[in-house]
Amino acid sequence: MNALITISVLAVLVLYLGLYKANKALLPVTLLGLAVALFFTINHWNVFTGPTFNDMMSYDNFAVAFSGITITSTMLILLLSKGYFEKISDHVAEYYSIILFSLAGILVMVSYHNMTMLFIGIEIMSVSLYILAGIRKQDFASNEAALKYFLMGAFSTGFLLFGVALIYGAAHSFDLEAIKMHLETNLQTGQAISPLFYTGVVLMAVGMAFKVGAAPFHFWTPDVYEGSPSLITAFMSTVVKTAGFAAFLRLFATCFYPLHDFWMPVILVITIITLFAGNITALYQNNFKRMLAWSSISHAGYMLFAIVSLGSEASYGVFVYAIAYSAASIIAFAGLVLMQANTGSDSFDSFNGLGRKNPFLAFTLTVAMLSLAGIPLTAGFIGKFIMFSNALSSMHTWLVVLAVINAVISIFYYFRVIVAMYFKDAERAELEIPLNFKVVLAISVVATILIGIWPAFLPNVI
Amino acid sequence: MEAQSTAINYLPIIFQILVALGFAVGTMAVTHMIGPKRKTSDKLTPFEAGIKVVGNARQPFSVKYFLVAILFVLFDVEVIFMYPWAVNFRELGSTGMIEMFIFMGTLLLGFFYIIKKKALDWD
Amino acid sequence: MIALVWLVPLLPLIGFLVNGLGRNVLSKGVLGFIGSAVVLGSFIISVLIFNELHSSPQAAHVIPLFDWIQAGNFKVPFSFQVDGLSAIMLLIITGIGFLIHVYSTGYMHYDAGFAKFFAYLNLFIFFMLLLVLGSNYVVMFIGWEGVGLCSYLLIGFWFTNSAYASAAKKAFVMNRIGDLGFLIAVFLIFTTFGSIEFTEVFSKADGPGIGAGMLTLITILLFVGATGKSAQVPLFTWLPDAMAGPTPVSALIHAATMVTAGIYMIARSNILFTLAPYTLDIVAVIGIVTALLAAAIAITQTDIKKVLAYSTVSQLGYMFLGLGVGAFTGSFFHVITHAFFKALLFLGAGSVIHGMSNEQDMRLMGGLRSKLPVTFWTMLAGTIAIAGLPPFSGFFSKDEILAHAYEHNKLLWVLGVIGAMLTSFYMFRMLFLTFSGKFRGTHEQEHHAHESPSSMTIPLVILAILSVAGGLLNVPEALGGSQWLHEFLSPVFAASTASAAHGEPMDHATEFMLMAISVGGALVSLVIAYFRYGKSGHVPAPDFGPRSFFAKLSYHKFYIDEFYDALIRKPLDAVSGFLFSVVDKTGIDGLVNGLGKGTVETSKGLRLLQTGNIGFYIFMMVIGILAILVYSFIKI
Repeated sequence: MNALITISVLAVLVLYLGLYKANKALLPVTLLGLAVALFFTINHWNVFTGPTFNDMMSYDNFAVAFSGITITSTMLILLLSKGYFEKISDHVAEYYSIILFSLAGILVMVSYHNMTMLFIGIEIMSVSLYILAGIRKQDFASNEAALKYFLMGAFSTGFLLFGVALIYGAAHSFDLEAIKMHLETNLQTGQAISPLFYTGVVLMAVGMAFKVGAAPFHFWTPDVYEGSPSLITAFMSTVVKTAGFAAFLRLFATCFYPLHDFWMPVILVITIITLFAGNITALYQNNFKRMLAWSSISHAGYMLFAIVSLGSEASYGVFVYAIAYSAASIIAFAGLVLMQANTGSDSFDSFNGLGRKNPFLAFTLTVAMLSLAGIPLTAGFIGKFIMFSNALSSMHTWLVVLAVINAVISIFYYFRVIVAMYFKDAERAELEIPLNFKVVLAISVVATILIGIWPAFLPNVI
Repeated sequence: MEAQSTAINYLPIIFQILVALGFAVGTMAVTHMIGPKRKTSDKLTPFEAGIKVVGNARQPFSVKYFLVAILFVLFDVEVIFMYPWAVNFRELGSTGMIEMFIFMGTLLLGFFYIIKKKALDWD
Repeated sequence: MIALVWLVPLLPLIGFLVNGLGRNVLSKGVLGFIGSAVVLGSFIISVLIFNELHSSPQAAHVIPLFDWIQAGNFKVPFSFQVDGLSAIMLLIITGIGFLIHVYSTGYMHYDAGFAKFFAYLNLFIFFMLLLVLGSNYVVMFIGWEGVGLCSYLLIGFWFTNSAYASAAKKAFVMNRIGDLGFLIAVFLIFTTFGSIEFTEVFSKADGPGIGAGMLTLITILLFVGATGKSAQVPLFTWLPDAMAGPTPVSALIHAATMVTAGIYMIARSNILFTLAPYTLDIVAVIGIVTALLAAAIAITQTDIKKVLAYSTVSQLGYMFLGLGVGAFTGSFFHVITHAFFKALLFLGAGSVIHGMSNEQDMRLMGGLRSKLPVTFWTMLAGTIAIAGLPPFSGFFSKDEILAHAYEHNKLLWVLGVIGAMLTSFYMFRMLFLTFSGKFRGTHEQEHHAHESPSSMTIPLVILAILSVAGGLLNVPEALGGSQWLHEFLSPVFAASTASAAHGEPMDHATEFMLMAISVGGALVSLVIAYFRYGKSGHVPAPDFGPRSFFAKLSYHKFYIDEFYDALIRKPLDAVSGFLFSVVDKTGIDGLVNGLGKGTVETSKGLRLLQTGNIGFYIFMMVIGILAILVYSFIKI
């Protein structure tokens, strides 16, 4: 709770710092505040006693773990933003504070214990994102992204809310535990579960699938990711996606678990469509940023594995996968931002010959691509490994076969970047890499390799 | 899954859909039908006397109207929270008092921010 | 102190990082100092650990560091095992390693790759320590692979010479063949025992449900791994070629430490081998064949390092013979003494090469005794030790192996003695060719020949002292010794000793007789070598000069390389050529390219779905939602 309060107050504080023209202090204050929030979060580790605030919130280890990842990723992305927003607009403080509001929503999303809190969290996050997507007021692509995101987001939120309403109608409660109890008692006593409930579950699945960008509700993703400023895209594809999965998992793994047989095939089909749609479309992209957007769809597919199989390691799997994916994506987006700032282009060709001129950047990008492709000794491999073995242990052999085919396809487009950097020569100037980028790249690479070599270093979240 | 769940259980959902659709379609249809209609060319002109209209009524106008309108709605809606609080003032006691102060304080911060940002200045 | 064992490998790793990263920044003096100092630090800690272990003997200390891999029921803890066996290996690796590092500061002083050399050397020490410290087969395998890698890097250290580079490649490939055997063995061990921790595997080894056939298979595969790393028939030809590396590398990696990894591994897994007597017989036979074959090749070689290389192969053969006949202690004893005298001989050879301006051909040496006195005297000590003359160290260790061989099988003993005679002959031949007679090199070399700097001679002297006195570690009862090493290592081999059938212990008279015969044989060889090369000054013929049939056979290494070439490489080339041109190019490439094209076409098509039109997107979403709703209505 302290973390949530800290971040909310911090957002207002940053707003006022901007009001009094203390633009220099914005980034340090934000980072400091987030560090305090992170400290409060970690302090909650293993001290969970039960839901708090009239059972509205539940700060268990699951919540702590995912709050930790999202806060840390946000800090890394904000570190990259030094001087970035100044170029886009005069209202710098507002962007920091909107990101912070969005993060506050995310913290609610990962620790809710009540459907209303889930809805409020999602809305706090989403409304902030709609604005962030459109912060380049003069840029048509950015405007388009914001409007599309808003329209489709509103559409899907409607389904989510309708689902919540139907479930309330059937179970007479918003409380996760109470809903689960309702299901269990009904199943045990052989009483019929109201069709309202089934419909509600399906509609909530649709709403959540939209938020995490799973097919066929993924159509907003490439357009919005491409149109938004790159750092905002980085935020959306790492922090927001992680939060979406945490919320998804919490809902389906705890609350709707008794109906697993009913909704599992739905999620299974969504998973398979997502994997193929993401990977196959990513193949043919010539633009690095758009490729990342499609690849983020395919990674949503891999993360859905946890919800399909729901084994004992589901939350651990999502946890590791989210870290691996966030670290690699942050590297990729940092590279993208540098590339855009220096050459103004984000096609694959603009990476030609980078290996010679910027060996460090090329190395980090290589590690990131290897991790995204799931090559051993990187965190991405461990993430995929846990997901696949989890799916295998719940007898989804065919799903794993399809996923492996997809992993092979994905190697193609990830390696295009590596090939461009090391094997294609081009006359190019050395990119200027500011210190803050170096720090972020180094941290992410170390995390990626460390987890890849020694996965047991992460605490087990169950 | 269970034998008891029959089509009859879907009745509420169907009703809801019907009502939702019906209300939208119904109101639109009814407004068209109940009003008396005498379509003459004079009737269709915007005004029967005075200056001739120039251009379309649907033209862009200053975003400041929206801004002020939205800010009005925002601060207006917040007042709604005060009614239930006022009704339960005694039961909520000092905790409620403090919470309302925090709430109002936050609102005030927002208001102050708006003024400083010159969002309410017309020029 | 045992709890701090992780410091031992950590220090060389730090050295590797500092030397590797600071190669362009730090001066040679600093680099050499860091490289040597970290190994010295490890050595000091090793001594303390050894002391503690010695004063309070216990079966084994397992020090868990962290959980490394955890997937289902497959758990690999990263942990170290400290017991007699690994403690002694620690001392050898860090002690001799330190001396060789010091030596290298002199030997490599003018080399451009000085920093790289020390970085690799430190890395090698790290992996070697990992290999001997690992408390399970996986950690051991990491070290095993790591030392292979370092060996590859160091053999090809002067990679601009293409012959050296291909020697490195050969070593790598041959090692990989062996490693594959090891790896499969580790898998089998995991499936059979459900664990890869030494303590667990060994305690279950003679338990119920472990078939003798499976044990034989596992041990044979382990032994295949050992033949690769320890250069045994048929995978031995890489070791002589590995002499392409700098001489300190030959001394450290290809004589004292890495090549004994196979013996260490078998000694570590002794209980598995004891329970698979069939494998032990194979080990003994391969060992004696290697010992004789390599010795027979060594007697005609003219390159001073090649002689030592074949001698190493031959001595390793003795060690395997020892393992095969159940003389685990004796074999390990020979590992220790061999590390002393062979490192000494290699470093001495390096000193000679250094003094002769990089000349390695013994036909162009001679009479160096007065020019390189320290080198001569130390190498003499090493030669006597390896020839097995009392009371130098080699005598005790070789004798113990031979005595066990005698108990096991008389024929093995006879062959062993013949091998010992050959050893004595070629070693003294080398000594006389190099140090006595007239100088046969160019005038310039003669003028230039000089004793090496003290950074090189001091390690020589220390190693010479160890070579002379090393035998005291395990003086047999017959000579009034206490068999200290045997006592110290007895917990490690306890299970094997218990389950191996034991006959009557040998009486002292027989033992004396065996000693006398082998010493006598060695002396005869010494005398022959003296008359042929020392007194009459005979010089081996030039490369294509006239030779008797057997000499020719030996000089050309029994044509084994050519044999492998004809038998394995050429047919493989032909098969792979066929596979490449027909199967791969048309068949697989066609299929793969076809699949790739298909995917790309699909991708092109799918991409068009992304129209950018929100109405279309929402339409697609609605279709999706409708499909799901229809499904759920059917399902309910």
